[in-house]
Amino acid sequence: MDFTEPADVARFRAELRDWLAAEAAAYSGRVGYESDQSLARTLEWYQDLARAGYVGVSLPIEYGGGGLPDAYEAVINEELAAAQAPPPPPIGHIAHAISDFASHDLKRRVLPGLLDCTAPWCQGFSEPGAGSDLASLTTSARLDGDSFVVNGQKIWTSGALWAHWCLLLVRTEPDAPKHRGLSMLVVEMASPGIDRRPITLANGSREFAEVFFDDVRVPRGNLVGERGQGWRIAMHMLTYERGPADMGFVGRLGQVLGAALDAVRAGHSAADEQLRRRLISSMIDLQVLQWQVSRSLASRDTAVSASGSVDKLLTTRVEQRLHHVLVDLAGASFVLADQPFADYVWSRAQSVYGGTQQIQRRIVAERLLGLPRG
Amino acid sequence: MTIELDAEQRAFRDGAGQLAADVAGNWRLGRGPADVSSPEPSAADWSRMAEAGWFGLRLREENGGMGADAVYAGLLVEQVARHALAAPVAGTLIAAEQLQAHGADPDVLSAVAAGELRIAPLLRPDLTEFAAGGEALAWDSAGADFAVSVDDGATHLLAEPDGGIDLTRSVRVPLAEPPASPPGVSCRPLSQADRARVGAFALAMLTADLLGTMEAAHAAAVDYAKTRRQFGAPIGSFQAIGDIAAEQLVLVEATRSAMWYATWSVDALAPADALRAARMAKAFAARAAVEVCESAVQVFGGIGFTWEFPAHVWLRRAHASRRVFGDEHHQEAILAARIFEVA
Repeated sequence: MDFTEPADVARFRAELRDWLAAEAAAYSGRVGYESDQSLARTLEWYQDLARAGYVGVSLPIEYGGGGLPDAYEAVINEELAAAQAPPPPPIGHIAHAISDFASHDLKRRVLPGLLDCTAPWCQGFSEPGAGSDLASLTTSARLDGDSFVVNGQKIWTSGALWAHWCLLLVRTEPDAPKHRGLSMLVVEMASPGIDRRPITLANGSREFAEVFFDDVRVPRGNLVGERGQGWRIAMHMLTYERGPADMGFVGRLGQVLGAALDAVRAGHSAADEQLRRRLISSMIDLQVLQWQVSRSLASRDTAVSASGSVDKLLTTRVEQRLHHVLVDLAGASFVLADQPFADYVWSRAQSVYGGTQQIQRRIVAERLLGLPRG
Repeated sequence: MTIELDAEQRAFRDGAGQLAADVAGNWRLGRGPADVSSPEPSAADWSRMAEAGWFGLRLREENGGMGADAVYAGLLVEQVARHALAAPVAGTLIAAEQLQAHGADPDVLSAVAAGELRIAPLLRPDLTEFAAGGEALAWDSAGADFAVSVDDGATHLLAEPDGGIDLTRSVRVPLAEPPASPPGVSCRPLSQADRARVGAFALAMLTADLLGTMEAAHAAAVDYAKTRRQFGAPIGSFQAIGDIAAEQLVLVEATRSAMWYATWSVDALAPADALRAARMAKAFAARAAVEVCESAVQVFGGIGFTWEFPAHVWLRRAHASRRVFGDEHHQEAILAARIFEVA
């Protein structure tokens, strides 16, 4: 049992801190998905980060990665949060899926652009009829000569509007049981037959889109892994979607809480005794969440994937409680201004995206606790 | 950075769990309040715990102990609670920690390690902190020979236990008259750093105790949900029950992370940092333990509030340990004072 950071990780952290001190300020508060300008800045930020060697550090060296353990990805997420820099590109799970399952040729073609962030990616999983019940998705891919022909619709696809590539979960074996009939394809978003329409979120963000596929031809060589392996790859990705990124998320919540504490101390926010106690209670929650996430990360090799669901449930609890405190701390401005609501409403998404709270509880109940299926 | 138990720690935990389960088997809840076993273990059982090295776990070798780090003490206290063992293990470990920090005589500490001298910590009457003169209560003092007021080195004999909700541990009042032959406890005052370190240790032990209690209640509720059938199916197959079980596991695992950090930090961090970590861990555990034990009572349904079924034993322990050395409100008030009243 040792919570101390090893010397080489600490050195990496110190170097990154120096780099951020010089580079990050230029991007602070100017990235996002609200305008073409802020989007361009976001993509620039990703490329800057990649050039400095901070994207894909846990990927194999031969495909442009850094060949380092996950702990380094966590450091990057944490330090970016601490510097109030924009987050790193959310591509770790896609990169690991391709690196772990794709053919050598496909890796050579797509991983360099993914890791140097010159070719943005999106992940096409959810469908109008397949949210929590993802395995019932109906977007089909039929093999026709040397191509798959894709038809169907994806929704809630983050970054689809500007993505060059999509990692697409499709049904290739319509007669197989639902979990075994899926495959993973790499699809070029400029292909004929793809139509993208933006979805504006309740907080005004334009990050999401729905994507329509109408007889889209995808080269057979763009199949990731084997036919019918799609579900396994998707589940493998979910374990990478969390982990290191959680550390950054906890760090960002810590920044939000820290700002609230500062505002109260400086007299900018009025907080009575009860509200102060609730802030402290959230501070304790966040600290425990950080211990929990550190522990999961430091024992990742032995962890079963369902333990990620425990972390997700704890994160949901902590984030949503914190935002309830912030709603009250904002006082009348919560009703009179836009930003506090925009921040708050996004906290409600935590219990939906990446597997709803109800699905996560089901996973914990069945896989970790061994309760019978309903 | 390895945030998991190593092979030696796992072996120690498993061994402690076995002995705790074994000794706990001698204790009877009975059929009602008049029927319950004493919280004081038999002399034979006490000797077995002493032989296992439990009481001298944290004492240095020259004091007859094993000099283990606080992570081991946490694992021990967790296992004792996991089996709701009626024996003052946590109290002994805390009092021994306190006496050692005060530079008590090696003979006295060696006798504690050997199980020959039984001691208990003295708390304020509101149970929130160590006593500092004045009125006091000796917590987890079943069978204790005496309690030491570490501020003045006075030893106190203890009155007979006088009730309380915790069926497995005793709280006793110190008597006014000094013992006929006071053990040789020469105490020097604690430095502020020592005070913080001992405080951190005590809070970390209570966190471990709450963790063990939560685990016991949660594991039993999950087992019950697998076998109890209603509407033609095990109740654990209903989402309403599965959701409770899942959310409570989240609290158990989060508390485990907190306990590991708090116990690790006792020996690894500066005393003030260790104390701060322990306060946060204890605050989280205090709130979580009551929620987990209440949820277990709910899952058990009617049987959950019968005397013969141990759900109330866990709920009692959770509430008692929540208060001892301060509940979440107490810890939060102290942390709030640090943060908001500095300016």
